[in-house]
Amino acid sequence: MKNKTRNDIILAGILLLLAAAGFLLFTMLKSEGDIAAVIIDGKEVSRYPLDAELKTVITTESGVNTLVIKDGVVYISEADCPDGICVDHAPIKHVGETIVCLPHKLVIKIESKKTEMSLDAAA
Amino acid sequence: MKKVLLLFLITCVLTSCSKSPEKFTNYYFDYFDTVTTVTGYADSKDSFDEVCGEIETMLKDYHQLYTIYNRYDGINNLYTVNTTDGAVEVDERIIDLLEYAKEVYAMTGGKTNVAMGSVLSIWHDHRTIGSNHPEKATLPPMERLVKAADHTDIEKIIIDRENSTVELADSEMSIDVGALAKGYATEMVAKWLEDNGYTGYILNVGGNVRTVGAKADGEKWTVGLENPDATGEDDAYIEYLSLAGETVVTSGSYQRYYIVDGKQYHHIIDPETLMPSENFRSVSVICDNSALGDALSTALFCMTYEDGMALVESLDGVEAMWLSNIGEVKYSNGFDKYRQ
Repeated sequence: MKNKTRNDIILAGILLLLAAAGFLLFTMLKSEGDIAAVIIDGKEVSRYPLDAELKTVITTESGVNTLVIKDGVVYISEADCPDGICVDHAPIKHVGETIVCLPHKLVIKIESKKTEMSLDAAA
Repeated sequence: MKKVLLLFLITCVLTSCSKSPEKFTNYYFDYFDTVTTVTGYADSKDSFDEVCGEIETMLKDYHQLYTIYNRYDGINNLYTVNTTDGAVEVDERIIDLLEYAKEVYAMTGGKTNVAMGSVLSIWHDHRTIGSNHPEKATLPPMERLVKAADHTDIEKIIIDRENSTVELADSEMSIDVGALAKGYATEMVAKWLEDNGYTGYILNVGGNVRTVGAKADGEKWTVGLENPDATGEDDAYIEYLSLAGETVVTSGSYQRYYIVDGKQYHHIIDPETLMPSENFRSVSVICDNSALGDALSTALFCMTYEDGMALVESLDGVEAMWLSNIGEVKYSNGFDKYRQ
């Protein structure tokens, strides 16, 4: 009888611990904000939090693009690429969204470690 | 007994953590004049990169075989076929593509025609000049287009599978597989993944999206259908799809175009009018074969909604969404099951 109670307490303790760990992990992940990853020729070169406010020039082998983060959205304000498609692209902010500058082999991608719905591709 | 149960529980928790595969993404910029994204689950970056190495080799091979703009040393590609009189010995993958192109031609009533090279090259030249030098942008003269259209008979692409040759029986005709090649290559890569037991991959070759299985956790992939007239970040997508094993391909007037006298002229040319089709802003096709999806989205773009709907409903496992020029969205009957 005594033994049984002790085991119950151990089990309850472990469950509590697991729950606490789960809760901690959950809040840790949740508090980690979305970021904009800068990927040149397939290699991530930098990342910025979306709650930042900044304007920075990204230099690639083929040319430069000006990245702007403002009010939680990301866009390219200027670029010296021939087509200017990256500049015309609407601002992005949702996880999985990308802006691509093909001539410069540049991808700006919104990433997150949160478990909310995110985009895997766009067509 | 309880101890055993507890041990079992703890073991489960621990192993499930250490064994769950991670998600990786690689990008490629050198194929099919677009960006290719490969996302998949693997136990390590190294094993993912190994799979991607195979994928990149395939993309490169298909790109070099199917391009009409470049020659490559030691390869007879479609550029070679277009610029050679008489039969050209080609790789089996060119024979496969062209035979499929003839199937698709029949299926779409000629709306997807890879023998339109003579017409499309005139548009291509004008679009290239007009994009690079907006002040010099002009439309192709209609009489030139009409003359070129006399040389678009797909039956004059003579395929000899036994001898692995292709010949153009009309010296003024040329092949342009732009409506099909990207999707065909995507499908071949996806098939290779499936045949080799890989699952949990999503390929995106410039908007030609093909899923291979579901994600590692069994969830379906989320694919957004772009809103060409997005005003900001909140209306960037018209629709969110849930896919696992299917493909979705969009043809849109917003993807490639140039401007003449303030008007946009895009790249999807109707074989009948020889002008960019103005029926829709975009058409998206969901099915299980990316080559078919690519070809059908082009064909549907050049058809009326009624004709397109009839074609879609006549085909098994094909669904479509039409976005009109005024923003109206229409769906085929079974489209709803893919919507989130």
